[in-house]
Amino acid sequence: MSLRPRKYVPLAIRLVVIAVFVLIWDLAVRLDWIDPLFLATPLDTIEHLVPVTIHSAPDLAITLTAFVSAFVTGVVVALVIGLALNLSNYGRKMLLPLFALGVTIPKVTLLPLFILWFGIAQTPVIVFGALSGFFPMVINVLTAGGEVKPNQVLLAKAMGFGPLRIFRKVTLPAMLPVLVSGLFYACNASMMGVFIVELALARHGLGAVVHDLAVTFQTADMYAAVLLTASITVAINMALWYAARYFGRWRG
Amino acid sequence: MGKLSPTLARTLLVVALLALWEVFTRLSSVSAILIAPPSAIIMQMVQILVRTSNVPDFYANARLTIAEILVAYGLAAVAGVLTGIAVASSKVIGDAFEPILLVLYAVPKIILYPVIVLMIGTGPATKILFGIFVGIFVIIFNTAAGLRQVEPNYLRLAHSLGYGSAKIFFKVELPAAAQTILAGLRLGFGYTIIGVLTGELLLVNAGLGYLIDWASVNYYTAQLYALIIITLAIGVVANYIVGHIERRWVRG
Repeated sequence: MSLRPRKYVPLAIRLVVIAVFVLIWDLAVRLDWIDPLFLATPLDTIEHLVPVTIHSAPDLAITLTAFVSAFVTGVVVALVIGLALNLSNYGRKMLLPLFALGVTIPKVTLLPLFILWFGIAQTPVIVFGALSGFFPMVINVLTAGGEVKPNQVLLAKAMGFGPLRIFRKVTLPAMLPVLVSGLFYACNASMMGVFIVELALARHGLGAVVHDLAVTFQTADMYAAVLLTASITVAINMALWYAARYFGRWRG
Repeated sequence: MGKLSPTLARTLLVVALLALWEVFTRLSSVSAILIAPPSAIIMQMVQILVRTSNVPDFYANARLTIAEILVAYGLAAVAGVLTGIAVASSKVIGDAFEPILLVLYAVPKIILYPVIVLMIGTGPATKILFGIFVGIFVIIFNTAAGLRQVEPNYLRLAHSLGYGSAKIFFKVELPAAAQTILAGLRLGFGYTIIGVLTGELLLVNAGLGYLIDWASVNYYTAQLYALIIITLAIGVVANYIVGHIERRWVRG
């Protein structure tokens, strides 16, 4: 491995920026720019990270279960509806604007209705998370349908391919890149949905932990819990990214 | 089937769903607390708009929410475009900061909300800052991506014509990247609205989010639905206006 300075300069800049950020954070508490009641030092936060992680392990499990259920439900329903609508150009044209509306409207305003309908246990968390993931995914399934070239389908038919084989060999490969980017949107939207409901009303889960720590001013624990949550979401995103790359290779 | 235009079919579908909803609420034994019939909701919307409803200070709260959205969006647009330009301006800066931005983007911003509340309180500034957080990333990434896509030959041609770097930037790079940047600005607007309204529904001390919560905790179901629809309508209309501006600029 040869040393290429061009590769290390950005890394160095990045590390310096992060170091300066942490330093300012630390000084803000030490020099009383911000009341320590509201901001814990980086060191305190790190010290609390392990105890908080151990303490909130059950909530972590609840959040991850809710997220996986919401994400999978949203994506599967979006795939079923989207692929069915893709069978007819008319159906796609008719419903695409309605689904696009579902993405752009601030669904969070529906939260009080979700409490009325689904109570305050785990159901609203999963339903809201699933709904948040569903809309971006269904849009991408419908858009992906437009990527399929009718001529290629016609050619495959002329070569005697059955419908299943056409789907596997022609339709799916053409749709895959857009479907994968849909998965990323759906993943982030689902996570956001799950955390919003947990923060707003749930009694269990990481969002509820953060909320409880914040309102009881257990500041260092709260920053540790936020850091924990942020790390987990980044890890999930990276896992998805590697999975997408792995399956991208399969596509050839 | 094929004779109806998709738009007309879509409208009919929505009207049919509303009619079904109306009939269902009239005939079913589901409590009136859970669902209000569309006719009652529309009546309530009219009453809210002409101030004969019991909703307190609708216009003051609506103005506050709209002001928060506009301020948050203005700041997110300016800061986002400038950051995007900075990131795209040099490979070293881009390589140094883009991983940081991507990690920040991957974290569901909602988890930072308690942090913002602790640091700067429960006023409008919190909701504005949160709106900026949610909206800014897509603006940054689209600006950077748009500037990087500019055909290198354009730049070479401009150089050989003796344009200075400022002139190249404003006369060549920016117009060539305009379409992608404007798409980012449109998406960022939608996200900013979502961010501001999420903040309002989690804090519930002022604005439309507060009114929605007020209707919810008092079980004014028709008011609740009416306020939600009004809020969503503001989002839809605002998105439509921004989309319209975008299309005109891109064409012109």
